[in-house]
Amino acid sequence: MDATQSVPPVPAVPPAIGQVLPIYFVGDESHSMAGAPIDAVNRGLADLRDEVAKHPLIGKKVRFGIITFADSAETRLELSELSEELALPTLAPRGRGTSYAAAFAALRQAIPGDVALLKSSGYQVHRPSVFFLTDGQPTEDEGRWRDRLAELTDDTFKERPNILAFGVGDAEATVIQQVASSPRYAFMMTSGASTAGAIAEFATSMLNSMVSSAERLERGERTIEFEKPDGFVQLDAPIL
Amino acid sequence: MPPQSQVSGQGTRGGRVRLIRGPLVIGEPAPVVEAGLVAQDPYRPDTVADGGAAFGLTVRAASVRGLAKRYTGEPRQDDVCLRRHDATRTLIAVLADGVSAAPRADIAAALAVRHAAAAVARQLDADPAPPPIDWADVFGQAAWALVEEHRRSSGEPQAGVEQAAPLLATTLLVAAVTVADEEPIHVQVAAVGDSPALVLQARRFEPLVGETPDAADLLGAGVDALPHKPHAFARAERTLGPGDVLLLASDGLALPLGDGTGEVGRVLARELRRPPNVVDFARLLDFSRATYDDDRSLIAVWSDRS
Repeated sequence: MDATQSVPPVPAVPPAIGQVLPIYFVGDESHSMAGAPIDAVNRGLADLRDEVAKHPLIGKKVRFGIITFADSAETRLELSELSEELALPTLAPRGRGTSYAAAFAALRQAIPGDVALLKSSGYQVHRPSVFFLTDGQPTEDEGRWRDRLAELTDDTFKERPNILAFGVGDAEATVIQQVASSPRYAFMMTSGASTAGAIAEFATSMLNSMVSSAERLERGERTIEFEKPDGFVQLDAPIL
Repeated sequence: MPPQSQVSGQGTRGGRVRLIRGPLVIGEPAPVVEAGLVAQDPYRPDTVADGGAAFGLTVRAASVRGLAKRYTGEPRQDDVCLRRHDATRTLIAVLADGVSAAPRADIAAALAVRHAAAAVARQLDADPAPPPIDWADVFGQAAWALVEEHRRSSGEPQAGVEQAAPLLATTLLVAAVTVADEEPIHVQVAAVGDSPALVLQARRFEPLVGETPDAADLLGAGVDALPHKPHAFARAERTLGPGDVLLLASDGLALPLGDGTGEVGRVLARELRRPPNVVDFARLLDFSRATYDDDRSLIAVWSDRS
């Protein structure tokens, strides 16, 4: 017997060493976020890190990344395990613009490499989720951000993420609806509420969503669970 | 008699008989969590372990609550059911994985396995030289049991699949293993949803029905489930040859098993070469491995023909 034929091919990586859920926070750093709103974002992110790190089961299952946008988009935290020692970036207002296109392009750029890296380490990877938070309308040509969004959500993009979109301040409900990958993932701050207060509620809901989604990661089911934060309306009905 | 120290699960430190405690760890261990006792009514036990011998077959079945649900105190949403049909020398084995988005998935899984097993048995009763199993009937009856339960619990006698499905949803995997004299052991198996049936042959896991994870894809697509999709079943037939072990699994095991070439596959292949006792089988299934904390169920069938 030919010995070379009886040996099964050795995979390049050990398969199935763990399962992970990539989650990206994509946050608005435009000038209008200055003061209480951006402080609420920073506080929310720090709480999220601490709570996830403390949870006995989900810390190892979640990988969290931060991308911010204003005139341009920046990756502020590469996809990371949330441990108590993890140093988070401090978000600060920069630039006058609110370029959704830059944010979508940055995600489209980052996700395939991030997923490939996890897979090459032997992880089984769940469909990524994006929490998109903005306090303004896109300051660019509508066609431009729509095209970048289409590239991110197109069926031919294998790693296309689930996008949950949250509008606070001057964000436009009809735009938020288009950004979200499902109508039940679109949320708008109730009119008259405080932006910083709404952001704090958003951050709590993002944390709860990460915990409940990561707790019940299953192969065949939708990867993200989410309940409407207080102070927001869900845009799953036509806007009148 | 082997010396006592070689009896599994028992240590002899200092001459005293000791139980070896704790889970089997495969790779990086999962954290140890205190399991919350389930508050659900009807009560669902954390673990079920079952098995026995019939018609020259040995079967083991276990369903263990995942670490995530132990941590939150939620009930196990997988279930398993065995049944023997003596007139046709057929072992019926059924496994269900409740869809966790449905709040009563645990009840759905428990009902589906029992009604599917009964449906197969009724078909075999009706014909002593049975034709191939009518799977549409089996899945249809299991689906109907979920609708009936919803009608009962909601007090809405007109409720249908649309009303029941958001609350009671489950995958379902059913196998019938028939042992006729002088004939090869015949396996018929069918599944709605992603719970796979496999045959373990030496160290290889051969998929029969259901999905095995594809390393190229991302996890998290939708899943077919009862009561919505009783007709969306995949079926297979196969002869169970010497050394073959038939396995029915829920995705809580199928996911860490992957294509069977990793650590979990190696351990299972080694430990399932021969039937462990019923409790050891459940312990094997309840292995500890970081990030894999879903409910797990497994039914394994061995033949004593060499």
